Amino acid sequence: MNDAQIMERIKTLLAEKAGELTNPFPRRLYLKVEHPNLTAAMAVLKDSLGFVHVSTISGVDLGENFEILYHMANEYANLNVRTQIPKSNPHLESICGVIPGAVLYERELQDMFGIVVDHIPDGRRLVLPDDWPDGQYPLRKDWTYTRPEEKIPGGKTS
Amino acid sequence: MFNKLVRWSRKKSPWILHLNSGACNACDIEIVAALTPRFDVERFGVLLKATPRHADVIIATGPATRQIKDRLIRIYEQTPEPKFVIAVGACAMSGCVYRGAYNILGGIDQVLPVDVYVPGCPARPDAIVEGVVKLLGKL
Amino acid sequence: MRFTIPIGPQHPALKEPISLRMTLEGEVIRDADIRLGYNHRGLEKLAESKTYLQNIYLTERICGICSHSHSTCFVQAAEQLLEVEPPRRGVFLRYLVSELERVHSHLLWLGVAGHEAGFDSFFMYTWRDREVVMDILERISGNRVHYAINTLGGVRRDIDEAQRQNILASLSVLRQRSEYYLKIGANEPTFVARLAGVGYLSKEKAVALCAVGPTARASDISRDVRKDDPYGMYAEVPFEVCSAQSCDVLGRTVVRVKELMQSYNIIEFLLKNLPSGPVAVRAPRRAKPGEAVARYEAPRGENIHYLKANGTDKPERLKVRAPTLGNYAATIEMLKSGFVADIPLIFAAIDPCICCAERVVTLVDSRNGEESVVPMSRLRAMAEERYRRAPVKKDAEWPL
Repeated sequence: MNDAQIMERIKTLLAEKAGELTNPFPRRLYLKVEHPNLTAAMAVLKDSLGFVHVSTISGVDLGENFEILYHMANEYANLNVRTQIPKSNPHLESICGVIPGAVLYERELQDMFGIVVDHIPDGRRLVLPDDWPDGQYPLRKDWTYTRPEEKIPGGKTS
Repeated sequence: MFNKLVRWSRKKSPWILHLNSGACNACDIEIVAALTPRFDVERFGVLLKATPRHADVIIATGPATRQIKDRLIRIYEQTPEPKFVIAVGACAMSGCVYRGAYNILGGIDQVLPVDVYVPGCPARPDAIVEGVVKLLGKL
Repeated sequence: MRFTIPIGPQHPALKEPISLRMTLEGEVIRDADIRLGYNHRGLEKLAESKTYLQNIYLTERICGICSHSHSTCFVQAAEQLLEVEPPRRGVFLRYLVSELERVHSHLLWLGVAGHEAGFDSFFMYTWRDREVVMDILERISGNRVHYAINTLGGVRRDIDEAQRQNILASLSVLRQRSEYYLKIGANEPTFVARLAGVGYLSKEKAVALCAVGPTARASDISRDVRKDDPYGMYAEVPFEVCSAQSCDVLGRTVVRVKELMQSYNIIEFLLKNLPSGPVAVRAPRRAKPGEAVARYEAPRGENIHYLKANGTDKPERLKVRAPTLGNYAATIEMLKSGFVADIPLIFAAIDPCICCAERVVTLVDSRNGEESVVPMSRLRAMAEERYRRAPVKKDAEWPL
């Protein structure tokens, strides 16, 4: 199957759930989906098109909204499904019911951006240290950090 | 006389403990490669030990992260006197490329007192062996 | 009764800070937990404040064993965004270093597997031969690790005819020695029996948990980024995807050994068909707004980088997912209902690159919540005791 055939099948199978679908480079497809339709669209992509493998889930801070990209792959192409959620109410539906392997990536989103993933099977902290203060989300664009004073043994202070 | 004997034996075969605190692994592989037949540091009597209670020298790699700070201090306190610390690699010296990241405090010397610094990214096994020998010369 | 075993951060052969806390019921593992964080260096945030060229240097230092894979994956994404196409000779040289890195990584892993299974002389032999590969890499690039051979638009150094002949000669020495190891491994029944049946991961579970790399290929999933999504010149190189059906640690060993042999063939093909010409083209400094996804088959599995540009010379967002993180969910599955004695081997079998994955594994035991600290060397000693007394599985065969 090549890119054009996959795009056709996505348009027919997802009908009104599929938003904008682009193909900027060979074997790279970008599909936009509204948040309420996310889980249903994932189920269709997995069962009928063979996109069973989720490589990772990226979060991007766009200022007003968060954009979440699900990078999926089958034997022919790489499909990136994107959805947007507002920063003021960052609730994301978990896709672990469809693809259980996505749980670690969703946990990382929770840590790094402060997104709350609903119905996640295991929502513990993943990457940040235990003594990290709550409410500080490093990958948000407005999060800054001042370095503590560094002591140089036997020398002047920095 | 007894002190001289003890000091000679300590100089002749230091036992090392290898500690990795958030490094990319390259320096650690070079430390283990120093044990392999090509560089063979075991002929100097240096043994890699698993527990701090048996070690004389702590070889630390990697920049100190916030998470590992308490463990580093705990392991340092568990090592019996006299003990020495060798910081291997540019990350252990000052943080290398990671300076300024939110989870990094800097080099190992922000947490432990260091005796010998071995530069390099990663430090070659020959350089690590020379670092150990320099330390033994200070004893 | 259940008790929790934390396996402490430092350990002789696992060179990375890993803390395993396991919940045991007798000797069977009931539950496992992953806690990442010892190695978290805040790389994605750092990458937003450095230019594309500086980011090549930064992504290389994500990992020391697969440093070229991260740097190449980033450069593939950046070249798509900057709209540069590297010349053919540059592409061949870049992926020549990739295959050499794959060889060095698999030899390293074979040594670690031998060490975990108690076969220390195997460890010394494979690491001695790994030095031959390190010499080749040093001749090409100037450093044993962190080769810094990639640049935006090609590679930084070229090889001349004498170096090319030299590499071909060393390659034949390596190939001979690898075949010798294969013979040893296959004919040593205790080694084979030690690995067979350990760490079972069925095909359905491997697909559902999105396993990657040799871990997935040993469970009969023929997934390899070099075939499915060919980058560089892999569409022209003849090679096969190696897989095994046994779904256990023995299968993973077999897959890696087969891949080693395939890599030797690929390196020979690349050297014999090296085109002439320049090795790099100039690349612009700023990237137009857009996004790119690059996938790469690292020695441990699929490496994926997502790069978003915003019109300046620094990226807007860089997301890195290293292969070992993808295998973590599968590892927990493998550890459940395994034995304590098998933990070092199961963990080593996914070829953990903890610095890539930034994790700490905690296994939690269920029965009564007791805790006790057991160092990894004690676990390995327990494993050796257990397997010395067990009868050798006569039907364990080397399925090559």
